Amino acid sequence: MGEIRDPIHVFVRFEPSEEKIIGSRAFQRLRYIHQLALTYLVYPSATHRRFEHCLGVMEVASRIYDVVTNPENIHHESIREFIPGAKGGDKLGHAYWRQVLRCAALCHDLGHLPFSHAAEDLLPEGWKHERLSQEIIMGKEFEPLWKELKVQPEDVVKLALGKKKCNLEFSDWETILSEIIVGDVFGADRMDYLLRDSYHAGVSYGRFDHYRLIDTLRILPVSQKDSQEPGLGVERGGLESAEALLWARYFMYTQLYFHPTRRIYDIHLMEFLKEWLPGGQFPTEVDKHIDCSDNEVTAGMRKAAADSSEPGHALAKRIISREHFRQIYERSSSEELRALEPGKRVYDGLVSQFGKDEVRRDDYTQTGGSYDFPVYTKAGDIVSSLALSPTLSKVPTFSVDRVYVSVAIRDEAERWVEKNRDQIITGAIGEEHSSGKLSES
Amino acid sequence: MESFQRASILLTLNEELRKAGSWAGETHMQKAAFFLQELMEVTMGFDFILYKHGPFSFDLRDELTFMRAQGFLRLEPQYPYGPTLVGGEKSELLKQAFRQTIEKHLTKIRFVSQKLGTKTVAELERTATALYIRLREPAEADPVERLRSLKPHIALPEAQAAVLEVQQITRDSSSLTASKGPLGLAG
Repeated sequence: MGEIRDPIHVFVRFEPSEEKIIGSRAFQRLRYIHQLALTYLVYPSATHRRFEHCLGVMEVASRIYDVVTNPENIHHESIREFIPGAKGGDKLGHAYWRQVLRCAALCHDLGHLPFSHAAEDLLPEGWKHERLSQEIIMGKEFEPLWKELKVQPEDVVKLALGKKKCNLEFSDWETILSEIIVGDVFGADRMDYLLRDSYHAGVSYGRFDHYRLIDTLRILPVSQKDSQEPGLGVERGGLESAEALLWARYFMYTQLYFHPTRRIYDIHLMEFLKEWLPGGQFPTEVDKHIDCSDNEVTAGMRKAAADSSEPGHALAKRIISREHFRQIYERSSSEELRALEPGKRVYDGLVSQFGKDEVRRDDYTQTGGSYDFPVYTKAGDIVSSLALSPTLSKVPTFSVDRVYVSVAIRDEAERWVEKNRDQIITGAIGEEHSSGKLSES
Repeated sequence: MESFQRASILLTLNEELRKAGSWAGETHMQKAAFFLQELMEVTMGFDFILYKHGPFSFDLRDELTFMRAQGFLRLEPQYPYGPTLVGGEKSELLKQAFRQTIEKHLTKIRFVSQKLGTKTVAELERTATALYIRLREPAEADPVERLRSLKPHIALPEAQAAVLEVQQITRDSSSLTASKGPLGLAG
């Protein structure tokens, strides 16, 4: 068994057959994909890569699997029925799915584009990075690896992508396993990235007691008296660790992932790539995908910034020379109550006044559901986390609506917004210029 | 359909479900929206797959989260089950902006709410999955068996009752939908 040092999990251990996945071209490429895109321009030490994140996800997913499938941690007969090996037989099934889970955790990010999520929209219609991951997992280069590991690549795809991104039919068991990797609440992907991003950025917001949380995770019927469908939940003793994870996510969104300067760099990067890439899109052929990493894009960006004849010159300069647009508006709660989309009104007003090239808008609301998961109490009941926790229903839903302008018009634009803010929000200014204003059809 | 317009329909669905006695949590909203879009033909652009408790849309889940972020809905925890969704501080603003949209779809929203309002999550799970099989796998010879293969924790008598109930709801809905014959099948 091999081992790799890791600042988050101390050691990540792997079998020789798994080392072949790690050694593949597609996996080695992840050494050159920044986990947090251009965040290092704001938090200089946030230069970690998807490579170590994927190793970390394999480590966390394995720990979760070992806890939730341990017969001592299974409290309901209906759950014991569907976990391979939980009733004493089918040890092979138990080992098989552990191996599939580890492979899927390793491979879940293989399709990520340069600079991770920042460039996601620059794929042809119908393509997302998950589909590229699927193409790689199912491709010729990986075929002998799966044979040696004795796993079905379709099973790896299901667990790596999860139900949301995969059209295949899932059993309840496969659904639970995919949630161990990409689940919205307790996924190993999320646990690892919060801890790792926090560590590398030099902020503490993403830390939580993951040892305690993992140790208390359980597969439970989602309700005691209602549906018996199984889901991933937690023992009562781990509820506070789960709360800490979900608050950590919120704080990481507000303090790191959606830092206003970080976000405008993402927008500038996307604009640069649209001009710089042939046809304005990334290729979807596996070989071309593997050949393109942050390194190639960064080299191209530096060259374009230095040479005015290069495509994307002005856009590259915004990033390389730190001439990024500046935030001049952020939605406030008082304005929210007066208009459905105050940020759009401000954006439209500024565009009508200063022109589209000078103004950018960042409008985002977090995705995913509420933090409702089953909790196994000391009395042996199953209760909704939101009914038991005094804080989970109070975790805010993260949402931003910001407007940025170029440095050249910043002062004038700030004065204009200050002077006209009330009229803009109430719709007296700017609405006639709105291209997609709210209307009933 | 634009996001705020869709939100106005979902907000009305939430209100009508609660009037009909529903818990109106996220699962109730998911299954009722499935009936509203797929059976009643109120096209909201949600893509439903079989997932948590039957037909489920990740886009709809995100839309409900968006509505909470915007103040159109809020969570109200209820022991020991999952929380109820109720109108938020900006719900009236949304309803005023989309009065015509709400009026246009109100009859269908009320029909779905009346049919599903008193159902538990377990009942919604089997009824909605039975409708999913009927609409997406019309060639399925034994929908009861198919339902039980998809949801092994559902007992045979409950699966049979769900399939029969969906047939009845489909018949009852035919006068409200344009493209369906008496059996509720398109064409």
